[in-house]
Amino acid sequence: MPVCMLVRCCRAKLSVWAALCVLVLCWFYVFPGYRLPADKEIAEEVLRHGEAWRKNQTGIDLYRKLLTECCDPRRMFAVTKENSPLGKVLWYDGEFYYSHTVNNETYQLFVQDNPLTLPLKKCAVVGNGGILRHSKCGKDIDQADFIMRCNLPPLSKEYVEDVGTITHLVTANPSIIEKRFQNLLWSRKDFVDSMKVYGSSYIYMPAFSMKPGTDPSLRAYYALADSSSNLTMLFANPEFLHMVGKFWKARNVHARRLSTGLFLVSLALGLCEEVTVYGFWPFSVGLDEQPVSHHYYDNILPYKWVHAMPEEFVQLWHLHKSGTLRMRVGRCPSQDGVS
Amino acid sequence: MAYADPSSGRDLLGNRSLCFIFICAFGLVTLLQQILYGKNYIKRYLENYDGSFEYNSTACRELRQEIMDVKVLTMVKSSELFERWRNLQVCRWEQNKEETSNFKMSLSRCCNAPSFLFTTKRNTPAGTKLRYEVDANGILPITNEIFKMFPDDMPYSKSQFKKCAVIGNGGIIKNSKCGKEIDSADFVFRCNIPPINEKYTVDVGSKTDLVTINPSIITERFQKLEKWRRPFYEVLQNYDNSSVVLPAFYNTRNTDVSFRVKYMLDDFDSQRNVFFFHPQYLLNVQRFWTVQGVRAKRLSSGLMLVTAALELCEEVHLYGFWAFSVNPSGIFITHHYYDNVKPRPGFHAMPHEIFNFIHMHTRGIINVHTGQCT
Repeated sequence: MPVCMLVRCCRAKLSVWAALCVLVLCWFYVFPGYRLPADKEIAEEVLRHGEAWRKNQTGIDLYRKLLTECCDPRRMFAVTKENSPLGKVLWYDGEFYYSHTVNNETYQLFVQDNPLTLPLKKCAVVGNGGILRHSKCGKDIDQADFIMRCNLPPLSKEYVEDVGTITHLVTANPSIIEKRFQNLLWSRKDFVDSMKVYGSSYIYMPAFSMKPGTDPSLRAYYALADSSSNLTMLFANPEFLHMVGKFWKARNVHARRLSTGLFLVSLALGLCEEVTVYGFWPFSVGLDEQPVSHHYYDNILPYKWVHAMPEEFVQLWHLHKSGTLRMRVGRCPSQDGVS
Repeated sequence: MAYADPSSGRDLLGNRSLCFIFICAFGLVTLLQQILYGKNYIKRYLENYDGSFEYNSTACRELRQEIMDVKVLTMVKSSELFERWRNLQVCRWEQNKEETSNFKMSLSRCCNAPSFLFTTKRNTPAGTKLRYEVDANGILPITNEIFKMFPDDMPYSKSQFKKCAVIGNGGIIKNSKCGKEIDSADFVFRCNIPPINEKYTVDVGSKTDLVTINPSIITERFQKLEKWRRPFYEVLQNYDNSSVVLPAFYNTRNTDVSFRVKYMLDDFDSQRNVFFFHPQYLLNVQRFWTVQGVRAKRLSSGLMLVTAALELCEEVHLYGFWAFSVNPSGIFITHHYYDNVKPRPGFHAMPHEIFNFIHMHTRGIINVHTGQCT
């Protein structure tokens, strides 16, 4: 029975290969090619570095130049009538081979041109990390000229002391619209009312990143326009997001997708003269070895494999050490200390 | 000469002559019909016309009988029916108390609009499973969320209003100058959010107390309210204080769109009432009219409103109901007073409904206005 022999032989080989594969995987698991420092090590490192920080103008200029070369945030960060004329194909950066062609209906929703008055002087990027809680950074944050926040964070009374009140740009993930506001298909009052906290800021939505995100984002626009709200909707340019993603991939951030925070930091580095970053701490233990919640307002962890927050943090920490941006971890110094 | 032509001289009743005779007979009958029933009626009644005919005058009785003689729409040519209808116009309409109360009685037995017209908290408690009107296996459990949208109880009671006007959107109402007369009614029903701006207000009036909206309008013209909502809100603002009725439980597709109207009005802090037709009521009404001879896949919303009005009002006046392409005088009219978009064929049985109204007018149950108002 030669056929039978052949099959048996192959089967035997197959199991050998499988075993080898498992072995290799185990090897990589035990001795990974690159390794992130553990939470504790990072905390120790931050503590060791201490409060000392010196602005490094060449670093700032270098990063602005790099970012301008790769992504041109001044022109490209939002979808505008200028950079996305009728008929332009927007390729989704979070999907494989999917695009939206700008048509009459979507074109009229875009702003004419970059609405920000450049250059911005002092920018603050406020992450939502649990480290912000009891940090007393509110006053510090409010002093910046341009304040960016992520994912429609709550700014209610109990948090004001820690996160400030003013907002100039806030990002909104379409998934929030879906989860918290039933996709805006029913009542829209809750959404419009909860947006009032952000005053007359810009809402920055990645409408053209994921397929299911487009409709909720456009609906958010309609809801705000219908209620004649003074918020301005900006749609994130997928091309910009894609380029920024590539920029950071080249700098050792391995993730399916960058976090909104890192997008905003890149944006701020490209647009502002001075960047301060608050509330970026993706670890479960704080500097004082106390447990820290994931967000300052809740402790809902994100999906595990989507974002690589610790890697992002390490990159930002390098930038902090080199003086390109300033990162606030832990408590902010009281007001008289800053001046 | 052994064989003579067998057919010679024997074509007396052959094919050709038979055919000829038929044609002749047909022509003769038509001619006779024309002579006998032609323009004679008008002549006959214009001769002894003295002002307005009283309802109970013999002449009017005869005229009414002529219409009642037309048992089915297809029995006579429509021009013939129109002529009889036109002739009847000289008689003053009066409500026939007995006929009307009988009709209302049978309506309240079958349909009972004063308590079942809309879904209310009373007739549809939370937790009931509502059956859709057409989707036979479609069942909607009334959750608390839906229950909250219902009114506490029916807002109208039996024969609450004295004089009601139901406004159809037929092209017949154009140039009728009936606006004032309509506005003087106690309660005005309109169908399918028709335009009532200055251009039309002379003919159709502006008072509106209840207006129906077909969800298909919202789907087509307002993208199911999934996008912009203010344009639709602004359209509704034209009808000040009027309530809105939607057939939300007609089929499963209508439900979401209809609820969205309610949500939208709440978002804009509007005081406008939103009601949903009770599917069981619509089913009963459909059954009722099928018995009366109006068979259609779906009754028009006009007929629905007339049925409801008959129970809610003492006297019902119909304007703009005429589903033929010509008016009673034979002049072409548009389908709607604001456009000429024809409905889907085979969906509604409008001519049958109108014919039915004509009969009811003749019996003194409703008053159908098809001419100019004075």
